[in-house]
Amino acid sequence: MQRVVLAAVVVLLCALAPVVPPFTLTLITEALIFGLFAMSLDLMVGYTRLYSFGHAAAYGLGAYATALMLLHFDLPLPLGILAGVALAVVVAVPIAWICTKSTGVSFAMLTLAFAQLGYAMLFRFKDVTGGSDGIGGIPRPAGPFGLAVFQGKLGYFYLVTFCLVGSYLLCRVLVRSPFGAVLAGIRENDAKMRALGYNTRAYKMAVVVVAYGFGALAGALYTPFAGFVAPELFFWLVSGRVLIMVVVGGAGTLIGPIIGGAFFLMLEHELSEATDLWPLIFGAIFIAFVMLAPEGIWGLLTRHARTQPPRPDDDADREAPRAAS
Amino acid sequence: MNFAGFLLAQSLNALSQGAILFFIACGLTLIFGIMRIVNFAHGGLFMLGAYVGYSVAAWTGSFWLSLIVAPLVVGALGAAFERSFLARLYARQDAGAYLMVTFGLAIILAEAIRLAWGAHPLGVPIPDRLRGIVLVVNQPFPIYRLFLIAMGAGAALLIWQFLERTRAGLLVRAVAQNADMVHALGTDVRTVRTAVFAFGCAMAALGGVLSAPLVTAFLGMGTNVIIDAFVIVIIGGMGSFLGSIIGSLLVAFVQVFGAYYFEDLALALMYLLMLAVLVVRPGGMLGKEE
Repeated sequence: MQRVVLAAVVVLLCALAPVVPPFTLTLITEALIFGLFAMSLDLMVGYTRLYSFGHAAAYGLGAYATALMLLHFDLPLPLGILAGVALAVVVAVPIAWICTKSTGVSFAMLTLAFAQLGYAMLFRFKDVTGGSDGIGGIPRPAGPFGLAVFQGKLGYFYLVTFCLVGSYLLCRVLVRSPFGAVLAGIRENDAKMRALGYNTRAYKMAVVVVAYGFGALAGALYTPFAGFVAPELFFWLVSGRVLIMVVVGGAGTLIGPIIGGAFFLMLEHELSEATDLWPLIFGAIFIAFVMLAPEGIWGLLTRHARTQPPRPDDDADREAPRAAS
Repeated sequence: MNFAGFLLAQSLNALSQGAILFFIACGLTLIFGIMRIVNFAHGGLFMLGAYVGYSVAAWTGSFWLSLIVAPLVVGALGAAFERSFLARLYARQDAGAYLMVTFGLAIILAEAIRLAWGAHPLGVPIPDRLRGIVLVVNQPFPIYRLFLIAMGAGAALLIWQFLERTRAGLLVRAVAQNADMVHALGTDVRTVRTAVFAFGCAMAALGGVLSAPLVTAFLGMGTNVIIDAFVIVIIGGMGSFLGSIIGSLLVAFVQVFGAYYFEDLALALMYLLMLAVLVVRPGGMLGKEE
């Protein structure tokens, strides 16, 4: 049932895209990019209970790497984005190695430190990154394979939608795989998983790198969309906001954070036009969700409808995957 | 200017900056020690202290009164917040929930301050008695910064003696170690928690009042300082009071001397220091690894 509704929403979006006003299309595109960003964090927060307070690092890395690729190497757009993601994944490995040395609050603070370090480094290497000005005038090169279709607004919307749906399906496979079952085990009881012979540190590293990869994809998609990048992409308020989106959307559901990200971007847009009080409302809504509805929007939506619980750990009866260590 | 004199002046500078940082970091670390809460709103409370201090000083003309009133107001607000929101989350045992509720409070505080006081920076004059400079070994040095050093050292000494020597301090340490046991022994742990949270908020506000004459009260002073405070608390060890003193001094010295010697690396130095400490000791210098 859920699957049918979700597929219908995607088809509807794609069908309506050519006829909605260009401004709305821009807004929807940005909302989808943020949804993808929030979903990537959900792998860590919802499925492994690794609270990252520095996920802006993934976003910023992807955005800056793609900006540099497009600006200096004249790659076709999809390749530029892929290159950005690849670079972010490479950088994520040592970050994951250090951060997974600790858990809980220390983990959150370490990820925060790396994001802030990235922020500081942008100012250190002004020649490459443009310092506080960022990098502007980023092209959307067409490249040789007739990929010019992505240069337009509509084409870019389809590219973003394609990336989001593809990433969602990949992540879904991932969290339902034996690997995902181990992550759920770590979320519920790390010590027990270690006692069962799992090298939980390796699993945690893997999920951090994967989450960085998808987060970087969101950042990489943002760059040609906005046409510029700025140090604020790395700032800790971005990390805080995306964490909010995950929780409000519904952690541990993948689809919830996508809705949360998109929902908040739309809400922010509407409210900031109607009233200048919106950060106040934003903060209040957020506290209300944490206090009253920790299961998030998606949890509320599916509370009555669901026939089977949504979390992957409910597959606990299934035979446990073999130890990989 | 000879080198020794330069070194002395910069060191005093760093000490005064460390004093401001200490006011924020000590509350943060005490709150974490007792409740395992990372209070993201601490920067906002610091900022609120500066603004309330500005208003009190503007109405009454007395900087000294603002030093007393602002911490009381912010402390009361902190107590109310702890009682009405955080206390309801203790049963959930979810570190993420605290992180996010206090983050929500931080957003609301920043916005409420903008609405109440406006977006312009507000200058707070240095009180007459602390204006001017003194010569420290032939180096001119602002009296106000010496006053900051004295305040920071005094507060550190008082809190340390309180924690070590008084019965209430013993209770605070006991709750930090094993809250359930203290509760079972017939102490009202709830009150201890509220009191420590309120005290931590009040200390942050005091830091805000003290720093306003140096940097004015401005929007964003909270977001700047909270990250510094996090770094300090992590370096010193989360929950360790002595660690927050050492961390404050270390970070202040790295900031002051880093800005002089490695100008373009200054921002990054603090984080590099923190990463170095964490790689060697994941729990911080004086912290326990969890």
